[in-house]
Amino acid sequence: MSENMTRRLTAEDTAFVQTDDKIYDQKFEGKPIGFFRDAWMRFKQNKASVVAAIIILFIVLMAIFAPMFAPYGYREQHTSFGILPPRIPELEKLGICDGSKIIEIQASKLGEYEECLMEVLEEYTWVYRNKEIPMLRIKINQYIYKGAGDYYFWFGTDNIGRDLWVRLWRGTRISLLIGFCSVLINCLIGVVYGSISGYYGGRVDMIMQRIIEIIGGVPFLVMSILFVMFMGAGVTSFILVLILTGWIGMSRMIRAQFYRYKDYEYVLASRTMGAKDRTLIFRHILPNAIGPIITQATFAVPSAIFSESFLSYLGLGIQAPEPSIGVLLAEGQGFLTTDPHLTLFPALVISLLMLAFNLFGNGLRDAFDPRMRGQ
Amino acid sequence: MAKYIVKRILAMVLTLFIIISISFFAIRLIPGDVLGEGANPELRAAMRARYHLDKPLIEQYVIFIKNFLSFDFGESINLYPRRPVFDVIAEKVPLTLVLNIFSLIITIPTGIACGIAAALKKNTLTDHAISTMVVFNVSVPSFVFASLLQYFLAYKLGWFPILLDLKAPFMSGAQLWSMVLPVLALSFGGIATITRYMRAELFEALSSEYMLLARAKGLTQLQATVRHALRNSFIPLCNVIVPMFMSVLSGSMVVETIFNIPGLGSLMTGSISTSDYYLTIAILFVYSLINLTSVLVVDLSYGIVDPRIRIGGGKTRE
Repeated sequence: MSENMTRRLTAEDTAFVQTDDKIYDQKFEGKPIGFFRDAWMRFKQNKASVVAAIIILFIVLMAIFAPMFAPYGYREQHTSFGILPPRIPELEKLGICDGSKIIEIQASKLGEYEECLMEVLEEYTWVYRNKEIPMLRIKINQYIYKGAGDYYFWFGTDNIGRDLWVRLWRGTRISLLIGFCSVLINCLIGVVYGSISGYYGGRVDMIMQRIIEIIGGVPFLVMSILFVMFMGAGVTSFILVLILTGWIGMSRMIRAQFYRYKDYEYVLASRTMGAKDRTLIFRHILPNAIGPIITQATFAVPSAIFSESFLSYLGLGIQAPEPSIGVLLAEGQGFLTTDPHLTLFPALVISLLMLAFNLFGNGLRDAFDPRMRGQ
Repeated sequence: MAKYIVKRILAMVLTLFIIISISFFAIRLIPGDVLGEGANPELRAAMRARYHLDKPLIEQYVIFIKNFLSFDFGESINLYPRRPVFDVIAEKVPLTLVLNIFSLIITIPTGIACGIAAALKKNTLTDHAISTMVVFNVSVPSFVFASLLQYFLAYKLGWFPILLDLKAPFMSGAQLWSMVLPVLALSFGGIATITRYMRAELFEALSSEYMLLARAKGLTQLQATVRHALRNSFIPLCNVIVPMFMSVLSGSMVVETIFNIPGLGSLMTGSISTSDYYLTIAILFVYSLINLTSVLVVDLSYGIVDPRIRIGGGKTRE
């Protein structure tokens, strides 16, 4: 090989060509569509999810503002106005939520109910010890009967006269707070744990997965009961209970994502160019999982709310006087046959909330990953 | 395989040991006096001696563990005074078990049938109706559903008794009739879970290539579906059905409270609220045992149902 065959190129040897030439390619029309914009366009088409999102927004706003503007406090007791049925201005003219209650009395005692009597529904005789007692089934205005004619408890009151409206929204606030906080922390732990486990693999992964197996092996119920016994009931200990095992699902999903993407060429290319582990994990691999993370977090909120109300229902949850939806349901259960409104409203709110979150999650999943549609 | 099972059982024993140890110490932290505040001093001293409460905590723990290892779970303190915990639990288990088994008998076939129907008729009216039902079932908590059933079917319409009929003999017709509502309430969520899995799995199996091969070999669509697609889609169901037993069991705690059923669930809530030390620990132990066993059964059944999955190889597991 002679020397003149190898010649070092300098800057003068190279020149830009075509820089001043006209490009005859067609120009792009419209704006580029990013990941989130793309997802939003698909999400908008799903009517059920949009409605669900609006319902969630409504419930969240009510939970924040309704207790602030309510005329009564959540601990305020009106002891003489125990268990009043719902009464809402305007609606009462239509005959619903008018504070009425149907009771059965002896006909001779009708005089006691003269002022509050609204309607006599049925007359019948009741045979008791061979005596025929004339009975009446009448509809009375419970508010006037109890001397609360000027009050409007929109959702009624409980057995010690606390306003259900304000207690319900305050309970929703606490349920949502527990749901959101626990899911947020679970996501953080799950993402970090899953990333490390999935990215490094090998021995690190093996040890980390064994730890998960041990923690996940203890039944949730047993663990939460022990934990509440240990920590005492309260919002903080509740969030901690939900964190104990809640992050495992998220970390598994993240780990699977890392196993899928870490051998891709673009990751290799970036590593060759000297990218650090941290950059590879957080800049290059993790963003692939943003869709599934959001979807899974959305599904985790209703299950956290469910766990909270389940434990509260068993008497392990939030302590009185602080309400949560589960506490209200448990309190209402005792009056189910006589005063169903105490169960009805909390049941309605929790069912609506969970339904909305599930539908919203379905919509998000379809929007982020159209391949999963309808599964 | 044998080595793997032994390893898993040892891990299980260790977990159980940790659970009872933690519960032993955790339950002491509940505020309130176990022995009742009004009792006279002599009686209190006698009771403290009987339940070993007069010794230092560590010594109590050693005695407790020794007894536990010889299957003596101690005596109930408050809820059923001086009765052995084992007997109390053994008395409550049948009712809870019957309830759970009935619930599973309803849940599994219904769920599978709905899932199959939805997958075969994908994107038709049937599918949409079933999917709506699934979302609804998943969303409404079992205790809300139980209250609704109780109010409308039992109270308003009077078709069923409001509470469980305890006067009727065990498993008699009248008692079974009063069990219908609690069983329905328990089955509600499980049906949705199974339907969802079954639908996804079967749909995936139906669109796979071995189905095409089976059709190419000359099988009818029905034959191919029954012999190939269905069998393959049953495998992942193991993963759902066995843990379901545990979730039904914990769900039954609330349902038992609502329908006034004296089963394991209400025993648990009762024992915690009276801080009945040994009874609570024993019940937590029973629940953990059932849960851990079900997880083990799932893992083992994988290898049996689907030979492609090897257990214990370490490297082949994802």
